[in-house]
Amino acid sequence: MNNKYKILIIEDESNIRTMVSTMLETNGYQVILAETCSTAKLIFDSHLPDLVILDLGLPDADGIQFIKHVRKNLLTPIIVLSARTSESDKVIALDCGANDYVTKPFGAAEFLARVRTALRINRHSTKEGKLPGGKFTLGDMTIDYDARRVSIRGDEIKLTQTEYNILAVLSEHCGKMMTYSAIIKAIWGESADEGSIKKLQVNMANIRRKLGIKPGEAKYIINELGVGYRMDQ
Amino acid sequence: MKKSVIKDIAKTVVFLVTAFFISVIFQDIFEIDEHVSTLFAFAIFLISLSTNGYIYGIVSAFIGTLAINYAFTFPYFAFNFTIPVNLISAIVMVTIALLTSALTTKIKRQEAIKAESERERMRANLLRAVSHDIRTPLTTIYGSAEALIENGKTLTEQQKSKMLEGIKEDAVWLVRMVENLLSVTKIDSGRVKIIKTPVVLDELIDAVLVKFKKRYPQQSAEILLPEEIVVIPADAILIEQVIINLLENAVMHAGDFTRLTLRVYVKDSTAYFEVEDDGCGIPSEKLLKLFDGYQGSESDDKADSKKKNAGIGLSVCASIIHAHGGEITAENTTNGAIFRFSLKIEENRDEQ
Repeated sequence: MNNKYKILIIEDESNIRTMVSTMLETNGYQVILAETCSTAKLIFDSHLPDLVILDLGLPDADGIQFIKHVRKNLLTPIIVLSARTSESDKVIALDCGANDYVTKPFGAAEFLARVRTALRINRHSTKEGKLPGGKFTLGDMTIDYDARRVSIRGDEIKLTQTEYNILAVLSEHCGKMMTYSAIIKAIWGESADEGSIKKLQVNMANIRRKLGIKPGEAKYIINELGVGYRMDQ
Repeated sequence: MKKSVIKDIAKTVVFLVTAFFISVIFQDIFEIDEHVSTLFAFAIFLISLSTNGYIYGIVSAFIGTLAINYAFTFPYFAFNFTIPVNLISAIVMVTIALLTSALTTKIKRQEAIKAESERERMRANLLRAVSHDIRTPLTTIYGSAEALIENGKTLTEQQKSKMLEGIKEDAVWLVRMVENLLSVTKIDSGRVKIIKTPVVLDELIDAVLVKFKKRYPQQSAEILLPEEIVVIPADAILIEQVIINLLENAVMHAGDFTRLTLRVYVKDSTAYFEVEDDGCGIPSEKLLKLFDGYQGSESDDKADSKKKNAGIGLSVCASIIHAHGGEITAENTTNGAIFRFSLKIEENRDEQ
């Protein structure tokens, strides 16, 4: 009997590999290890893990290649480990299909929370492909997709069309870090530039005010400056 | 590179044409032409002085010679290379061009070397301060880890968790140090232009507070923001670093304080960010060189390495704000201290 989640760790630094695998194993996950992009592809194809932890700087190839390899036909969640120096690397990885990223250095609590969130997305998408029912609930907040209504503890929040659309898009990808360009594409159908990112940020600021979220509270929506947004508890 | 070449060519042409026309005017009005070679020599001197390298000076010396020969010596408006006076003025002009160019090139090179060595000195100072400061946390991490591996069995649980706490704390300190250094390398040398994108204030402050709360879960802060949506053209990540540094600086150095306030207000299309605490204030002898950071910190309290990190943090703040064209100040209030920096905001508001 083995119904543990299988997690593939792709990381060439042995210390980080040990640390991450220890964190995961002690929390009841089954871990498979890979050091290079090529072995990772082989292991992935034969083991089909439930989640992938991927370091972008691999010795034989760019980690982006691995993401593309997986995304050809599978939606397995991928969490990218990245160094702070590269805001753009994160965005590229996310736009290629990674679900989330964790910036090095990171602590156990933060990392495990991201793992749990990523596995939750997988459950949604494998069950029926879309979120169940015409309603989405997160804490006190409910989004009624049919009526296009958002309410908190039953009280309706008056949102503009754009604001509602942004919330709906984020909720449909709940748990996934959405880059500015991905959201802008979904809302306005245009590619991201300075003006549209500003437009998105202004709308977001208004949404947060209307939902009564104080700055720094990080409730419902996680704001990753310079990268994007993620809906999460 | 290309721009400077065009500029140099333009300067050369302007000087030569001016010299030519003044000569023509003098010749017409006063019917003399003794001044011509002097005028051209002066033009060539100015060209050599204000352009890069030798080529412009020498070329204009030749053009000058030809112009004098052609237009200002008998026979007028025809070339005649048999006049010895003309040959002498040619030699003089080329010599002026060569000498002046040589001199200016030398001066320019020396200035570049001086600026470079100044930068090197600052970088060396920073490196020295950093590598000195890094030793303390590294000692804790290295020593504790080794002790835990070697004598793990004989240590009590309490001792172990205390050592592990120490390792974590000092590792976190190193992380912050590295973040600051990364910001410095981004803007150091002043050559790298900051890439400004419009940043919505609410989003910036939200990101700052999330990070701050992660590091100091116990520390509450009062947040006062303007009612309207404010957009600031800036490098969001760098400004985020500045505000975090200032908040952290208050937590670490204000002593016993009860209130920490982050306030943002807009006046005359400038956003003012204030971090205020009611702690112990800033010692007056430190107030002056607070933002110089690593330069002056060698003499005083060597023992307290954590204090020096504050120096680096604040100097990072200052370089980031200055690179954005803003101002940063610190002053003592009746009770506590206030740090303030300013950034220009975006004027036209065409949202939605």
